[in-house]
Amino acid sequence: MRYLFYMPFTSMIELQSISKSYGNILSLRDISFKIHDGEVFGLLGPNGAGKSTTVNIINTLLKPDSGNIYIDGINVLNSPDQCKMMMGIVPQEIALYDNLTALENLMFWGGLYNVPKHELRANATGILELVGLSGRKHDRIKTFSGGMKRRINIACSILHKPRILVMDEPTSGVDPQNRNHIFDVIENLNKEGMTIIYTTHYMEEAERLCDTIAIIDMGRIQAHGTMEELKAISGARDIITLRLSEMNEELVKSIKDELSFTVLDSSSNSLKLECDRLSDEISTLVNHVEKSGSVIKSINTQGANLESVFLKLTGKMLRD
Amino acid sequence: MVKLFKKDLMLFFNDPKSFVLTFLLPVILITLFAFAYGAIGDPAKRSESITVLVVNHDSTDISENFLSDIDMVSGISVVDATNDTARELITKGNYASALLLGSGFRDSLYRGTDIPLEILYDKEKELETENIRSVIVRTLISYSGKIKSGEHFVQDKPVPGHDEINNISSRAGNFSFDSFSPEMTSIVGEKSNSDLDLIQAIAGTAILMLLFSMASVGTSILDEKENGTINRLLYSPINSQTILYSKMLFAFFIAVIQLSVMFLFSWIFLGLDITVNIEALVIMIIATAFSISSMGIFLASIAKSRQQAQSLSTLIILVMSAVGGSMIPLYFMPQIMSKVAMISINYWGIQGFYDIFWRGLPLSGVFPKIMILLGIGLLMTVLSIRLINRNILKLI
Repeated sequence: MRYLFYMPFTSMIELQSISKSYGNILSLRDISFKIHDGEVFGLLGPNGAGKSTTVNIINTLLKPDSGNIYIDGINVLNSPDQCKMMMGIVPQEIALYDNLTALENLMFWGGLYNVPKHELRANATGILELVGLSGRKHDRIKTFSGGMKRRINIACSILHKPRILVMDEPTSGVDPQNRNHIFDVIENLNKEGMTIIYTTHYMEEAERLCDTIAIIDMGRIQAHGTMEELKAISGARDIITLRLSEMNEELVKSIKDELSFTVLDSSSNSLKLECDRLSDEISTLVNHVEKSGSVIKSINTQGANLESVFLKLTGKMLRD
Repeated sequence: MVKLFKKDLMLFFNDPKSFVLTFLLPVILITLFAFAYGAIGDPAKRSESITVLVVNHDSTDISENFLSDIDMVSGISVVDATNDTARELITKGNYASALLLGSGFRDSLYRGTDIPLEILYDKEKELETENIRSVIVRTLISYSGKIKSGEHFVQDKPVPGHDEINNISSRAGNFSFDSFSPEMTSIVGEKSNSDLDLIQAIAGTAILMLLFSMASVGTSILDEKENGTINRLLYSPINSQTILYSKMLFAFFIAVIQLSVMFLFSWIFLGLDITVNIEALVIMIIATAFSISSMGIFLASIAKSRQQAQSLSTLIILVMSAVGGSMIPLYFMPQIMSKVAMISINYWGIQGFYDIFWRGLPLSGVFPKIMILLGIGLLMTVLSIRLINRNILKLI
């Protein structure tokens, strides 16, 4: 694991050398990281990587074989109930009672956290507005669309106003419109100071929402940091592909020697290059090619993203 | 079309539930019902020995020999009792009937007058009683032949002279044994305001339906496991034991309500007098509800999915109800079925309600059945707690 320099936030969650196995299968191998107060933390990894195990250790349902975990300085293993009260969990499944109304669901799930009834009712009203479903509060959940159910699924987890919200793939199977609505909810909650742990398969979600991202694979944290830091760690770079009127060996050699590009491919009239920050280098490249007498017929750029970072770090696609 | 047909065949044979419901369950039920109707096995061996209580007020050699003859009949054994004991044992449901030999039994045989034979019986065990009555009549006919031949006069007391034997035999021969039938006196339920068949219908059906509803409540745990709400409950500050106990409490509560509603309905609309022993009825409802709700939770605890739980529940409930007297009253079945029935909750529940409504027993009389039902409930609860903690309330 590569540790990075962090901003001096207060640590809200801290995992120290956590290992967990099921029989002979080692699910988590000595993982450690910190999540700071008010941060949106993304946990990214393929199926079976150890995301759910990590989340379930954080939410106190699983005990690690070794290591410690602290939530706001409280040892989870010693005081699970105290830690549960600080957390809201949005499960991957739509875990609601279909035959109850939205409001009844909210009152039930919120009631488990011993929130006084009048306060709970006020919270429920506010949260229904936040998720855009106050007009449907007396409708049974079974009449809701999948996306609306997802929003209620989130709403049920924040009624007790937790300091930490753990979201396990909350947009699974959701249409783009509802997904954007959910993103808005998450961003609003985060603005109010809630620390959010977000597991996902979707790179673009992690890139949009998360302040920091941990990439987990085969039970190990492969890297942890901001998007920029992950790019730096992984060595993932921007890519540009030029289609030229003619290709010559001298041009390729001069690009290699004189510019800060790496030549990935130079076949027929196509030139595929890689650099750290394409926006800073592209004009230099274009001038260099034109000076060589070659004409650029088309340019295709691809910035380094989480997908390329993941590929670099794990050697596989996220959905492999 | 053939491809689609083949596909359906493959799906069918790959689905254990379909297989069980289509083949295994009917085969089991056919076997049970055939057994219940007495259609299986050697007719001579279908029922086990029937014990009849005898109260011999005659106490003569003739009456003793007559009882010995009955005792020697295959499948019948006699047990001496006093009048009061016999009545008590029949009322409690321990015996089907008692044979009362009046004090003039010997003399009436000699004189060829009405024979003082009376059978006290429990209508709930009418089939068994009918077998006993039949044996008694057959033995008496056979006995009459012995009397005519003078065979029994050598047994005791001064042997009558040849003329006297002829005289007695002649008079005995005048008595029509073939048309003789002992006086039949039903001593159970005479104080009951309700018909036995009505009690059977209500108790049997109530327990059968309760088993189905409790199985459904039980499988709702698996529903919650499958739709993720159990895990969500575990995320909250309540622990797994609370989830389990609340589910058990709910099942028990619904069971009590369901039984109460059924008995209230039967009181208002069907004329079942539930006020006959309200204290015993309430406790019996609680015990039955506890055992059946625990059974429902137990059935869920041994299954891995809702589908599996439903198939298993259907199978077990139908078998228990067939054996236990919910579908066919035990008094229509061979006596051995009463023994087999004891493996089912239905039997103890139905018998408990018989005790209250038919036999008119006080609470102490119903107590053994209540204790057995509570014991079954307790056992099921302990097993369910262990299994549910291991199989269902486990995150991964």
